[in-house]
Amino acid sequence: MTAVARAWGRLTLPGKVVFTLVPILAVLTASLIALIVLFGGAALDILNANLGVVRFVAAATVILVITIPIAFLNIYLEMKIIALMNLRVGPDRVGPWGTALSVVHGLKVLMKEDFTPSGADSVVFTWAPVVTYAAAVLTLVVLPFAPGLYAQDFNIGLLFFFAMGGLGVVGLLMGGWASFNKYSLLGGLRSAAQIISYEIPLTLSVVGLLILAGTMSLNTIVVQQDGWFANWYVFRQPLAFVIFFIAATAEANRTPFDLTEADSEIVAGFATEYSGMRFGFFFFAEYVNVFILSALTVVLFLGGWNAPFEIDPLLDWIGGILPGLGITTPVTIALDPGGLGLPLLFLLLLVPPLGTLLFAAPFFLLRSSMRWWVALIIGFLLFNVVAGGLVMAWAYVSFEAVAGLLWFLGKTFFFVFVFVWMRGTLPRVRIDQLMGFAWKWLLPASLLNLFVTALAVVVVGS
Amino acid sequence: MTTTDHRRASADDPRVMLDEQVGVFEPIPPYPPRTEREAEFYSVGDGELLINIGPHHPATHGVMRVVMKLNGETIVDLDPVLGYLHRGVEKLCENADFHQTIAYMDPLEYVSSLFCEWPAVMAYEKLLDVEVPRRAEYIRVLTGELNRVSSHLLAMGFHALDLGGLTPILYSFIERDEIVEMLAAITGQRMLFNYFRIGGVNGDLNHEFMSRLGDWMSRATEQVEANVGLLSENEIFVRRNRDIGVMDPETAIKMCWTGPNLRASGVPFDIRRAHPYSVYPELDFDIPTRKEGDSLARYLLRIDEVKQSLRIIDQCLHQMPDGPVLAKLPRLLRPRPGRAFAAVEGPRGEYAIYAVSDGTDQPFRFRIHDPSFLHLQSFGRLVPGKLIADWMTVNASLDPIMGGIDK
Repeated sequence: MTAVARAWGRLTLPGKVVFTLVPILAVLTASLIALIVLFGGAALDILNANLGVVRFVAAATVILVITIPIAFLNIYLEMKIIALMNLRVGPDRVGPWGTALSVVHGLKVLMKEDFTPSGADSVVFTWAPVVTYAAAVLTLVVLPFAPGLYAQDFNIGLLFFFAMGGLGVVGLLMGGWASFNKYSLLGGLRSAAQIISYEIPLTLSVVGLLILAGTMSLNTIVVQQDGWFANWYVFRQPLAFVIFFIAATAEANRTPFDLTEADSEIVAGFATEYSGMRFGFFFFAEYVNVFILSALTVVLFLGGWNAPFEIDPLLDWIGGILPGLGITTPVTIALDPGGLGLPLLFLLLLVPPLGTLLFAAPFFLLRSSMRWWVALIIGFLLFNVVAGGLVMAWAYVSFEAVAGLLWFLGKTFFFVFVFVWMRGTLPRVRIDQLMGFAWKWLLPASLLNLFVTALAVVVVGS
Repeated sequence: MTTTDHRRASADDPRVMLDEQVGVFEPIPPYPPRTEREAEFYSVGDGELLINIGPHHPATHGVMRVVMKLNGETIVDLDPVLGYLHRGVEKLCENADFHQTIAYMDPLEYVSSLFCEWPAVMAYEKLLDVEVPRRAEYIRVLTGELNRVSSHLLAMGFHALDLGGLTPILYSFIERDEIVEMLAAITGQRMLFNYFRIGGVNGDLNHEFMSRLGDWMSRATEQVEANVGLLSENEIFVRRNRDIGVMDPETAIKMCWTGPNLRASGVPFDIRRAHPYSVYPELDFDIPTRKEGDSLARYLLRIDEVKQSLRIIDQCLHQMPDGPVLAKLPRLLRPRPGRAFAAVEGPRGEYAIYAVSDGTDQPFRFRIHDPSFLHLQSFGRLVPGKLIADWMTVNASLDPIMGGIDK
């Protein structure tokens, strides 16, 4: 016993983690295999019978979980990009280039005191961040990330999106009212006035697009925009795109429309009295909202998961050229793992070490000062990069969903960058300018857009 | 502090609602109203709300408290409450000898310290009839104009920050840091320089200062213009500032405004030209003015002043004579009984010192005149009827420094 205790005491922290996790994982895996072998058929039957429920549970879990990396990534991007725009260094301590800092922020927020002011309406105060966060998460349900990769394809998807997005303001208003603080009250009222005003141009700007699309299902709208980028709705509805993006900025409470948390005026607005994870939820919701509104802009106007070009003619063209050059490699590899049998095992065993050695060799041979293990580490990393790239390329070509997800995330994070860019550049507008802009400019412009679109549809249609 | 009834669930049984008194902080003074104005201001009408801005608030540029009476977002009336930074500097100076008072001047104006030292040493020089060496006067003008540039850059950065722009303040700080570092090379400190002495300055220009200054001057104009371009051509910034806090020239003079704020209202009054001191008569520079008198004019006028200051620095460097930088004076100063008044043109307006000597080594009476205080008292004219956000604009464009206001 003492020998075991002494050996345990000598282990480093990673060693302890490994020696704890490996037995647990082994037991879990064994029991899972046993369960599948014993009850697999029956369980599959039950799950098959309730496919709707299974799909719902899986989608709900994934959507709840996916908000966390999205928010962390957005927070990190905001910190780093604004820092670079300000000629600062920004986060650079936790993780490579400070990438883990937002995770640390999340943990810090969890550990802070959860304080409720003495005069606050504690029930409303507690539930306000939940409402805001839930509203942000619910809008994710209808977003099509990639072909076949969406939680639910409603025929009223866009309507559902706006309805759920509008719920977020209820949480802000609740938080502002329940905090028992005048700054919070002003912030909550500002957010209510702002978001309700900007809902109207936001929704009206899309109506012209809906006339063209003939559907509210976001999935169908994306499918309509496939092919070359000229099919994207942004080229048929440029005014609507501009109105939509401005109104979306106001909806997400972002600079230059961040009056609800104007720190130089009303301290932190509705969030003044919040601390700990309740505050964290408000800001999670804000950053998830930035992602969601960027994603909706991409889905409606920029082709969603469609590439800006058609990949198939390109592949055919490459396929036509390669034999002429004497290369007969097929672009899509039809691997049958079962058919390979034992050679597959050897392949999996041999390729990584051989690849590592191959990439390590030039470094070791060409630089006499390099230690062999340094060369091996470099070779291993290079092999991983190249192999990962090849696998991604293969997945891109072979699976529609991977290609779609890459394009979708690329376009969406471009718009996230634009949001951050505006925050780094622009000052804040005043409340009367904000309201005047919505009612005097955006609303007439979106009505004009609707009128012109309807007229064009009637003229061209008849 | 008033109290209101509030119902809360009992900790033992959540179904039992307890009535307990919850402290509500209303910004109403705890004593009966002292004046009619106070009684009128603190009686809240229907639909009106008293709200505290400060003493600790992101936009108050220090420790200032402003009680606002709001109707929705509109400011009906407001009441600045001062004294949170009061140190009794004037009384401290009356108990220190003449040299020691100069060190008390720095924290009054912690953004542009030299402009509070300057009138003090000028007043003592008048009392003592000291001839300041010409090189010392040129060094005073040179360092003073550098300090003016750094102060204006900071004012422009904070102006943007109060309006919600995050970036310009950091760009301003790059230039300000250069200036502060080069001043630290001759004075030894970055903020509170304590550099001017009775009869000259403490130490001649050195090599590090000159090389840093040469580097900076070669790119100063382009840098300042590049920084300013981010804001002056920004539609949101211009619309937030135009026609906000408009001051007409007559009222500005009546309210004792000086400096850039007065010149932005169209009055070409600059102490450097109106009551020339030091070597300013020998230098060639313009007095920029603007007619509009709004926040935007005050912001743009500071940019013009920065350009004029750069001209003055250039001329100082070319015209500076050789010679001593400190007049020969006894260590213990006992000026003849009398009184002296000296004023200089600082980045915020007229800084002045009125000193009375009774023949001892300490001033008998010492009075500090600070422009920020006089600009602050115009809030009641500039802000009512506007929105909360406009108070931040007006406050930033007036550019007050709390150290001098509370003294």
